[in-house]
Amino acid sequence: MNYKAIVIGGSAGSFQVVTRILSSLPVTLSVPVFLSLHRLKHVRSGFLEALMLKSNLPIIEPEDKEQIRPGRAYLAPANYHMYIELGNRIALSTEEPVNHSRPSIDLSFITAAQVYRDKLIGIILSGANTDGALGLKRVKDNNGLTIVQDPQECPVRTMTESSIRICAVDHVFKTEEMINFLLKLK
Amino acid sequence: MLEIGIVETKSIIKAIAEKYLYDFSDYALTSFKQRLERSIELHNIKYFDIFQNKLLEDKIFFETFLSELEVPSTEMFRDPSLWRIFREELIPDILKDSGACLRIWLPNSVSGDELFSLCIMLHEMKLLDQVKIYVSALSQRSLDVIQSGYFQNGKLSISTDNYIRANGKMGLSDYYTTVKGEIFRDKSLIKDVIFSLQSVIPEPMAQPIKLVLYRNKMIYFNQTLESKVLRCFEQNLNAGAHLIIGTKETISNIYGNSEFNLVNNSESIYRRKG
Repeated sequence: MNYKAIVIGGSAGSFQVVTRILSSLPVTLSVPVFLSLHRLKHVRSGFLEALMLKSNLPIIEPEDKEQIRPGRAYLAPANYHMYIELGNRIALSTEEPVNHSRPSIDLSFITAAQVYRDKLIGIILSGANTDGALGLKRVKDNNGLTIVQDPQECPVRTMTESSIRICAVDHVFKTEEMINFLLKLK
Repeated sequence: MLEIGIVETKSIIKAIAEKYLYDFSDYALTSFKQRLERSIELHNIKYFDIFQNKLLEDKIFFETFLSELEVPSTEMFRDPSLWRIFREELIPDILKDSGACLRIWLPNSVSGDELFSLCIMLHEMKLLDQVKIYVSALSQRSLDVIQSGYFQNGKLSISTDNYIRANGKMGLSDYYTTVKGEIFRDKSLIKDVIFSLQSVIPEPMAQPIKLVLYRNKMIYFNQTLESKVLRCFEQNLNAGAHLIIGTKETISNIYGNSEFNLVNNSESIYRRKG
């Protein structure tokens, strides 16, 4: 694959799609996947386990400074921001919430764009918040590939619509189109 | 928002070290860069050069920057499960071991959320008089904020929920008053606390410490600085003393064979060997 990483942001209504993506990507995937998904601040466990039920890829809630490995999905832990740090590591942060969110999708996308530049795929899914739009724009500004879930398919459209508004996204896909597209990437 | 690059971030770290003797070169780069960008935005500065010059020429502005650089705690009683263990197991165990003289240290304090959570808990255990608490911070501004009791409005709702989940005995509202829409915590809780300034690496304390509360501080450091700080704690803690770090921080990852044993995995509680 020409790309070196995939970063996915989602909030309300995104769980099903994330599950579909994780159950479709092959175990042999040659890049890491970063999942920055809004979740309850005070519930530390359960979310990872729910995502793991159908996932092909191992999913990890990373420790601070955890080394990034291909073929794994990294889920932003509750009440932490997840950054992509230089030196192929993940860094966590308890900085102020962005758009009331911690983890913030924007911050994961911005730091990923900084590291992977044009080798990054950014995907925004259903959600009830404008978080993620600015991050996706940063991916685009660095010549990464930007994908947004078709708002018509989203249970909650705020996040996808605001992303499309501020960023000239490369693709607007329904879930199945998105999966086919990812599977065909070489 | 002004975006600054890694090169600029490194250059400002170098300039600060030469001018002010604060060496941030072993801070984690991405979050340090975030803090710089945040400061620039807070002060509505349009160009990086202007920011850098102001930082180097205006000592008062540098003090302000220092207090903005350090990341405040997210809330009071973060991870209520830790505070339950604290009340029900950890403190009773430590007291059994150490008798009357329990010293607790909170290095790199910023907002006082951990301090007031700790004091409320000890107060409810009727132990506040028996415990000596030391708080150190990087900037005088942070110490002033902590000592004023000021508490950020936006953290109140989650902190109130946390306090209940931590089995608090009263209501959190028993410990603060609201003055013209601003919240101030009860300063009598911290009247015996000893406050001091510290540099980037906490300085060793004169007295042996039984417990260090240091949650989500090392995430802002690179591995070199993490190791230095841990070595400082090793020197300050006698055998059997405890160190509590963030739930997503680990000592083994960064340190190899350390002098600390993990005694509670889900809450990241460590115990000094020996």
